Amino acid sequence: MRDTVARTHAIVRKELVDTFRDRRSGTVTLLSSILAGPILLILIFNLMARQVDRAHDLTLPVKGAERAPAVVAFLERQQVTIATAPADYEDAIRRGDLDVVLVVDNGFAADVAQGKPGRVQLVYDRSRDRARPSIEQAETLLAAYNRLWGEQRLLLRGVASTVGNPLRIESADLATPQQSGALVLFLVAYYGLFAALMGGMAVALDTTAGERERQSLEPLLTTPARPMEIVVGKWLAVVAFDALVVTLTLTGFYLTLAFAPLPPVGVPFLFGAREFGRFLVVLVPMILMLPAILLYVGSRARAYREAQANVSVLLFVVSLIPLVQLFMQRKEPSWLMLVPVSAQYSLLNTSLRGEAPAVTQLALSWLAPLVLIVVALGAFARRLSRESILSST
Amino acid sequence: MIDVDALAKAFGRRGEVQAVRGVSFVAPDGEITGLLGPNGAGKTTLLRMIATLVAPDAGRARVDALDVVADRYAVRRRIGVLSDARGLYPRLTARENVRYYGRLHGLAGTPLEARIDALFATLGLAPIAERRTAGFSQGEKMKVAIARALVHDPRTILLDEPTNGLDIISVRMLRDELRKLRAQGKCLLFSSHVMQEVAALCDRIVVLAHGRVVAHGTASELTAQAATTSLEDAFVALLGSEEGLAA
Repeated sequence: MRDTVARTHAIVRKELVDTFRDRRSGTVTLLSSILAGPILLILIFNLMARQVDRAHDLTLPVKGAERAPAVVAFLERQQVTIATAPADYEDAIRRGDLDVVLVVDNGFAADVAQGKPGRVQLVYDRSRDRARPSIEQAETLLAAYNRLWGEQRLLLRGVASTVGNPLRIESADLATPQQSGALVLFLVAYYGLFAALMGGMAVALDTTAGERERQSLEPLLTTPARPMEIVVGKWLAVVAFDALVVTLTLTGFYLTLAFAPLPPVGVPFLFGAREFGRFLVVLVPMILMLPAILLYVGSRARAYREAQANVSVLLFVVSLIPLVQLFMQRKEPSWLMLVPVSAQYSLLNTSLRGEAPAVTQLALSWLAPLVLIVVALGAFARRLSRESILSST
Repeated sequence: MIDVDALAKAFGRRGEVQAVRGVSFVAPDGEITGLLGPNGAGKTTLLRMIATLVAPDAGRARVDALDVVADRYAVRRRIGVLSDARGLYPRLTARENVRYYGRLHGLAGTPLEARIDALFATLGLAPIAERRTAGFSQGEKMKVAIARALVHDPRTILLDEPTNGLDIISVRMLRDELRKLRAQGKCLLFSSHVMQEVAALCDRIVVLAHGRVVAHGTASELTAQAATTSLEDAFVALLGSEEGLAA
């Protein structure tokens, strides 16, 4: 037993020294994990700030403004800057130069005079995310003017305005201030998971497929080190490095949000020391599980490049699961906690909304990763005892 | 001492590739035993079975009376293996490479460092001990691999084609090292497909072809057995052809 601990310890130490001296897996991974948070957040916040600005100072090019002066006057009272639409406004929208254009129908004045609805047209390209706030604001303003005008007409005829509006819609948004900014929430949670995957990837492949490629595995197997000692030693080393990468990534997020001069976008987004801690707790099963799987996948390949190709499936699954959840937009089923990656993504989101993940959920989220760790490490050890792992010369 | 008795190993799905078919020989302590045979004769598989890396299908092999299957880990503590694959860790220094293996063999602290110093002094590695092995020449890498295989002072030493890819100076250095080890009473088993190599160094020669022992004895016994005057002629006569006789 003492020998086992000593040998495992020797393997962990050697693997860590080896990793920190490696530019490819060590230095690059560490650097990118430190920089990821700041770069991502600054990009997103600037994007959101621009959207907020657009929505606040809507500039609406109008074609035929002179045919509907009352509409234009209403819009101007609502702080909208009215511009003259260019002749090629449709192309301009397609190119993305303009967000939305209001076209007043030629027969607008005549229709209104005869008591028919006056036709106005909003021209836009809804597939452009950037344009969406402007489009929505224009639609809301026109709907508001429509209602106002209708109420005035009813009043003239001596009818209470409530007759025409039997329904009064009031919205009560239950989102706490932190619950807005869903995009930022998604990305931070996503990136936390991603760091746990990427942090261990290069190292795990280098220590398995790389070791085989460099022909240093066969000599290692002639030492008294048992396959399980080699497996656990390598696993602990990769886990330690992975934990470091995740911590650095989260530190990057934390420092950026706490100290960087981010533009105010009205998202009092919360990622303080408490969220930092909750993130780490939620991610522990991933930090233990993903390196185990990566090591097994790496041990199946003869060379580093081959292992990289094999690992792309894992990469695909782990990065796709949160996207699927994002688009499902339903209340999460209770069995979700049993699905690795899914459970963690959901719990990360809970933490970001300022809530503490429930202990029962946390416990459930550990089950599948624990099973997978045992299976992956066992399979890796079995591969090391197989003759086919030896270089075929 | 290595004692191999009717050892056999086949590869492939249905065992259609018979790499080693019933090999028996004894390699005593204080001698260098050469495994001579053309490429594909089964030398590497035989050495891997003695090194406990590959389990035999039939027969048995023992190192100092310990079975290579049943007492696998006890055997590993007694053998030093310079396998055909002798990759080092390029980002570790020469000393760190050897120290890693020393620790895996249960050595630590001052005794381990003293052992490394002694090995590096003998092998002429002292000046480059603290340099990363990434930039080492083939000869320097070979020396580090030898130091790594000998760090735990094994009684039995297995070497698979150790001169492959070495220049003449490194080959001479290696021969001198092996003779020194023999003088210390070690048991050395050395495989090669180069006849001159084996003739220059080995006390006894086991000639392998197609996974079988075709002859066994000292250089002069082999010459007598084949009724020829030179070992080269004897080798050709014993193999039954000139295949794989590249020098």
